[in-house]
Amino acid sequence: MSFVPGQPMCVVAQQIEIKKLRQGDHLILGFSIGGGIDQDPGQNPFSEDKTDKGIYVTRITPGGPAEAANLMMGDKILQVNGWDMTMVPHDKARKRLTNKKEDVVRLLVTRKTLEEAVKHSMGYPNQCH
Amino acid sequence: MDNSACRRDSDIQKKIDHEIRMRDGACKLLAACSQRDQALEAAKSLQTCSTRIMAYMSELQRMKEAQVMQKVTRRSSDAGPMDDRLPCKGKVAISDLRIPLMWKDTEYFKNKGELHRCAVFCLLQLGGEIFDTDMVIVDRTLTDICFDNAIVFTDASPGFELRVELYSCCSEDDYSAGSTPRKLASKLSSSLGRSSGKKLRASMEPGACSPVSNGGASPLLLPVPSVPGPKYHLLAHTTLSLSHVQDSFRTHDLTISGNEECSYWLPLYGSVCCRLAAQPLCMTQQMMSGCLKVKQCGADPQSWTKVHAALKGSSLFCYHRQEDVEANVEPAFTIAINKETRIRASEKDPQSKVQNICVSNQYGGEEVTHTLTTDSREDTHRWMEAFWQHFYDMSQWKQCCDDLMKIELPSPRKPAPATPKQGSLYHEMVIESSDDLSSTVSDILARRLQELELRSQLGTSPTWMSLFEEDNPKSAGRPSPCTSRLSGRSPRTPHRFPRSPVSPHRCPQLGLLSSDVSLTSDSDSQCSTSPCSHHHNWPEPSNFSLSSSSPSRLRPRTLSLDAKLSTLRGRGYGGGGGTFQCPCQPPPSSLLVPIPISSCSPRSQRSTQTTLSCSSSTSSNSSSNSEGSHSPESSEGLPFSRPSPARRSLRNLRARLDPRNWLQSQV
Repeated sequence: MSFVPGQPMCVVAQQIEIKKLRQGDHLILGFSIGGGIDQDPGQNPFSEDKTDKGIYVTRITPGGPAEAANLMMGDKILQVNGWDMTMVPHDKARKRLTNKKEDVVRLLVTRKTLEEAVKHSMGYPNQCH
Repeated sequence: MDNSACRRDSDIQKKIDHEIRMRDGACKLLAACSQRDQALEAAKSLQTCSTRIMAYMSELQRMKEAQVMQKVTRRSSDAGPMDDRLPCKGKVAISDLRIPLMWKDTEYFKNKGELHRCAVFCLLQLGGEIFDTDMVIVDRTLTDICFDNAIVFTDASPGFELRVELYSCCSEDDYSAGSTPRKLASKLSSSLGRSSGKKLRASMEPGACSPVSNGGASPLLLPVPSVPGPKYHLLAHTTLSLSHVQDSFRTHDLTISGNEECSYWLPLYGSVCCRLAAQPLCMTQQMMSGCLKVKQCGADPQSWTKVHAALKGSSLFCYHRQEDVEANVEPAFTIAINKETRIRASEKDPQSKVQNICVSNQYGGEEVTHTLTTDSREDTHRWMEAFWQHFYDMSQWKQCCDDLMKIELPSPRKPAPATPKQGSLYHEMVIESSDDLSSTVSDILARRLQELELRSQLGTSPTWMSLFEEDNPKSAGRPSPCTSRLSGRSPRTPHRFPRSPVSPHRCPQLGLLSSDVSLTSDSDSQCSTSPCSHHHNWPEPSNFSLSSSSPSRLRPRTLSLDAKLSTLRGRGYGGGGGTFQCPCQPPPSSLLVPIPISSCSPRSQRSTQTTLSCSSSTSSNSSSNSEGSHSPESSEGLPFSRPSPARRSLRNLRARLDPRNWLQSQV
C-alpha cells in the first residue's frame, strides 16, 4: 500500500456502501478515522508504510452501519463518493464523510488481506466457486 | 392501435398545457419579484418549462408523423410481422454530479477584484423526461459545482441518450435590460469600466445565447415570452449513454459553449464527474415464471423434480411451491442464466412428445447441465421465448446485467435545521463543529446508563456508588489522596453522599467534565452528585457520567439551549475536531480501577504522556487508548478553573493543529 505521491499506484480495492443511520438530528456512520496530510503519519498504527498520510479506519462502532457494511478496522479509505481521500487534510476527510445531504456513502477501501485473498484465489484456478 | 395513439396524443397535449400554465406562472412571478434569488429561481423554472414544452411538442410531432406513416404502410402491402425483438426497459439514475472549476490562481487565492457570481443549474433530459437540479450560486471561492440531487429516469431503453446541460446566469447587479434604451446603454457601457460594461452589453443583447431557439420546424410553436429579468444561457453540455454506465464514479467530458466574453462564463475544467447507474427490468423484475420439471444431467432419468420457477436477474430460481416466491423463502435451488449459459432444445423425449430444454453452465472447470421440461408444447415454447428475450436483454444492456446496481430513490429531504443566527464566534464554533456527534455518543451512553439503572433496582444505587459513600470502608483508602487537593478547591466536604435530591449548588467546574453524557445533564444536577469525583475523576468521564445518572433520575430536567451549549463546551475532551476519547460503552468495572492520581496533577503543561496514562485508566475498550498519543483534548478542558469559552475553543484549535497529535474523528 505504499506509494509515491504523484505516481500511479496499483491496489486491490473493495467498494463498500454504508447507509447512514439517523439518530435524531445526526447521521452517523459508526466508525472513526485517523490520518490526513496534516497529521503525523508515524503515529498511525495501521499503516504498513509509516510515511503514508492516507485516511485509515481506526475504530468501528459495534452494531453500527459501518460494521454492517463490512468495513474493518485498519482499512485505508481511498475514495468517498468519488472524492479522493489519499491526499486530503484530516478535517476535509471528516467533512466528506459527514455531509448531511447524503444518506449513503460509497467508499473505496483497501486492506492487506484483500491482496492476499486475490493471490490465494489466483493460485487455485481449478477450484469450484 | 388508433385508440392508444389518441390516448398518447391527449396525454402529451395535457402535459403541454400543464407546462404552458407553469410557464405563464413563472413569467408572472419573474415580472413581480424583486429579490434577486427569487428571480433566479423563477427564471430557472421558466427555462425548465420551456425546454419541456419543446420536448413534448417535438414528440407530438414525431407521433403524428408516425401515425401518418402507419396509415400509409397499412394501405400498402403488409409490412410483415413485427419480428424485431425489443429489449426490456430499465431505470437510469444519475447522481452526485460534480463539475470542477479552474480558476486562475490569482483569482482564487488572492481573492482580488469583485466577486463574480453565477447561478447555475443542470437540466437532465432522457427520452421524454426532463428534470432540473437545484440551483447553486457559484463564485470563485468554490472549486467544484456540486449538485446533490439524485435523478431517476424510469422507462429508459438501452440505447438511451441522457443529455446533461449546464445553464448559468450571471448573478450580479440587476441589469434589467429591457428598460434601458439602447443609446443610453451604449453610452453607459462606454463610460462604465470595461468588465461591467461588457456585462451590461451582454445582458442587453437580445438573444445570441438564447436558450429557447426557434429553429425547430414545428408549426405549432407558441410565441416565446420575452421577460425582463435574469436569463439562463447554455454553458456546457454532454450526452451520456449506456457505455458510460458504471456502478462507481466516472468522469466525462463536457462540451463548452460560450466564451470568456459572455456574462455567464465560468472557467470550467472541461469535465463532469457523476455516478450513472442503470437497472434494467430484467434484473429487477420477474421476466417469466411457471411450473417446470427439472432434472440434472447425469442423474437417473426418472428423477424429475417439479418446481415453480422464476426467471429474474441472472438466475432461474426454483421453488418447491408457488407460495414460496412471494413468501421470500430461499429457493430450493438456483440455475444461473448469464452470458456464459448455453440453452438449447434437445431432441424429443421418446416418452413424452414435448421437447426438453437443456441449460448448461460452467462451474469452475466443469460443465453442469440441467434439463427442463414442461407439460405442453406451448409452455416449452414460451419458456424458450423467455430465455431468448432474456439473453437479448442481457446483450443489449451489457454491463448493467453483470450485477444489480443500486439506485436510491431520492428520499424526501428534511429541511435543513435552521442554525440560530447569533453574532458571536463563540456560538458559531459550537454549532459548526462536530461536537454534535459527541452528543450522539452521549445519547448512546445515556441509554446504557438507563439500562444499568434498570438492572439495579430503583432507589438503590449501583454498587460503585458506594465508593462515594461516607461510611463505606471500601472507600476509606481512596478519597484521602484527594482531600489535600480538594481543600484548595471546593468548600464542600468530599464525602457527601448524593442520595438525596440535588442541592442547588452551582458547580462550574463540573461543567468541564463530560457532562453531556447524561441526557438531562446540566450543571446543577452534576455538581451535587459526586462532589469529590470531579477532582480525581476528570479523566474518567464515564465514571462521572454514571454517577450523574441518579440525580438525573430523581430530578429530570429539560435542557435549555444555554445549558446544553455550556455543557458541550465544558466537555473534558473533544474539541472542534470531534476528537473522540471516551468510548461508547464504558464498562462499569473500569470504575473500580484505582486512579493514578499522581499522574493527573501536572496538568499545566500539555504532555501527551500524562494524557495517555490517565485516559487508559478509564476504559480499556477504546482502541484510541492503545495507540499512540492522542490529541490532549482532555487536558485542555481540565484546568480547575473554568476558562472562558473563547479561550477554550482556541485551545482546542491549537490542540488540533499541534502536529504531535494524531487526530481521530468519529463519523
